[in-house]
Amino acid sequence: MATGPSITFLLRKLHQLTGIVPLGVFFLVHMFTNSKALNGEAAFEKAVQEIHDIPYLLFLEIFGIFIPLLFHSVYGIIISSESKTNVFRYGYARNWFYLFQRVTGGFLFVFILFHVLNLRFGLMPGLNMTPVAGNADLSYQIISAEFSIPWVMAIYILGIAATAWHLAYGVWLFAVDWGIVIGEKAQKYALYGCIAAAIGLFAIGANAAAAFVRPCGLLPQGLCEKPKVVTPAPPRRV
Amino acid sequence: MGENGHNEKRRLNDPPRTFKLKIQRREKEGAPARWETFELPYRRNLNVISALMDVRKNPVTADGTQTTPPVWDMSCLEQVCGICTMVVDGRVRQSCSALIDDLLLASGSDTITLEPMSKFPNIRDLKVDRSKMFDHLKQVHAWIELDGSYNLGPGPQMSNEVAQDRYALSRCMTCGCCLEACPQYGDDKYIGPQAIAQARLFNIHPAGKMDIDERLAGLTGDDGIGNCGNAQNCVQVCPMNIPLTRAIYETNRDITVNTLFGWLKK
Repeated sequence: MATGPSITFLLRKLHQLTGIVPLGVFFLVHMFTNSKALNGEAAFEKAVQEIHDIPYLLFLEIFGIFIPLLFHSVYGIIISSESKTNVFRYGYARNWFYLFQRVTGGFLFVFILFHVLNLRFGLMPGLNMTPVAGNADLSYQIISAEFSIPWVMAIYILGIAATAWHLAYGVWLFAVDWGIVIGEKAQKYALYGCIAAAIGLFAIGANAAAAFVRPCGLLPQGLCEKPKVVTPAPPRRV
Repeated sequence: MGENGHNEKRRLNDPPRTFKLKIQRREKEGAPARWETFELPYRRNLNVISALMDVRKNPVTADGTQTTPPVWDMSCLEQVCGICTMVVDGRVRQSCSALIDDLLLASGSDTITLEPMSKFPNIRDLKVDRSKMFDHLKQVHAWIELDGSYNLGPGPQMSNEVAQDRYALSRCMTCGCCLEACPQYGDDKYIGPQAIAQARLFNIHPAGKMDIDERLAGLTGDDGIGNCGNAQNCVQVCPMNIPLTRAIYETNRDITVNTLFGWLKK
């Protein structure tokens, strides 16, 4: 008699789902917020303050980010440990992507741990000790100081690249694993789309990171809003 | 490809006088593996099986040591039974259709390496026990319930389209190439593409459809289709060109609709 799906099967499906919602969506929002740094310190700090003002923020953070992230990364490591990779014998592109998804996942586990300790909690020994959370008015300066250290910047650029690829290819994996994209041709074009998305996401993320050390990031400065110099108005006579 | 569209046989223009076969040997299951190299006189039109037969006639290694004749499986010798599957020069394939000229041309060396498939119990030398694949077929209910206690009459009609799709899937000879090349298969953690494609073969049959729930249940177990890693090596190495990945993804769609969202129909 037919029985229901196994726990392993359901965990796999949950792993695929959490990668897209909420983690993938969160990454897009994160990159959007970072990009506000292109418009200067005030614009970025306003964006950070707006996040602080989200109602039920702590619940959102715990149930929308930390728990899904913990599940996705720990279960991802379990999945990776079951892999018997063989790219040197069967060096097909999709086989390399298969390996790369696991390699980027492993790297991101370490990177995100570093990133969260470094900026969310300010607990990375030897680096910044002020958490960005709760200090919106200092956020730009904290990050700017961190990103001025070349090796820290390099780690963040690598982290953004790995996330962009892991997410974009993960969307492709989700589409094939849930039976949305089936045919050979459809899979090929969907993969091109995902590669383009990975490149786009990386460019946006890396440029936002650059905006913390150089106004307007890597773009010509004319493209960005000039930082507004606010001259305090003379006190009005009452 | 020749002018007439047929595959032209590639030949060594300047064939060597001899070539070497490097074979992985094992006394019995669980015994340590060792390598032995044999030097053979080159003949025209040799394939791996005929080269192994030459070794069997005179089992003396290249350094002159007398040894036991190597053991391997073979039957049809025309790449339709699948039993002579082994790893030739690092790639899984049928040894009967692996031509010595092709292999030497591809590697540019004078040695051809033969290993047994690594994902199955190695009984001796190049021989493996592939009965796991039969267990997979049982697990996914890869047959059609036909017998009744009375005459059930003629079965439902099948469209030409479905018949053609089924023909492609029915060519599976249970050789094990897809499982050997699959980076997720092994340790009994994943059922593998072979059984998924055979489940699909019967899921799209008009009479087989009636047991689709049973097959999908066999595929959503702990070692089920969810463990596919989408490396897609299976479809690259399949000697029968079976659309294995298509079978996996079509089954994924069935599972999404029937298993994941099936409760919404209740």
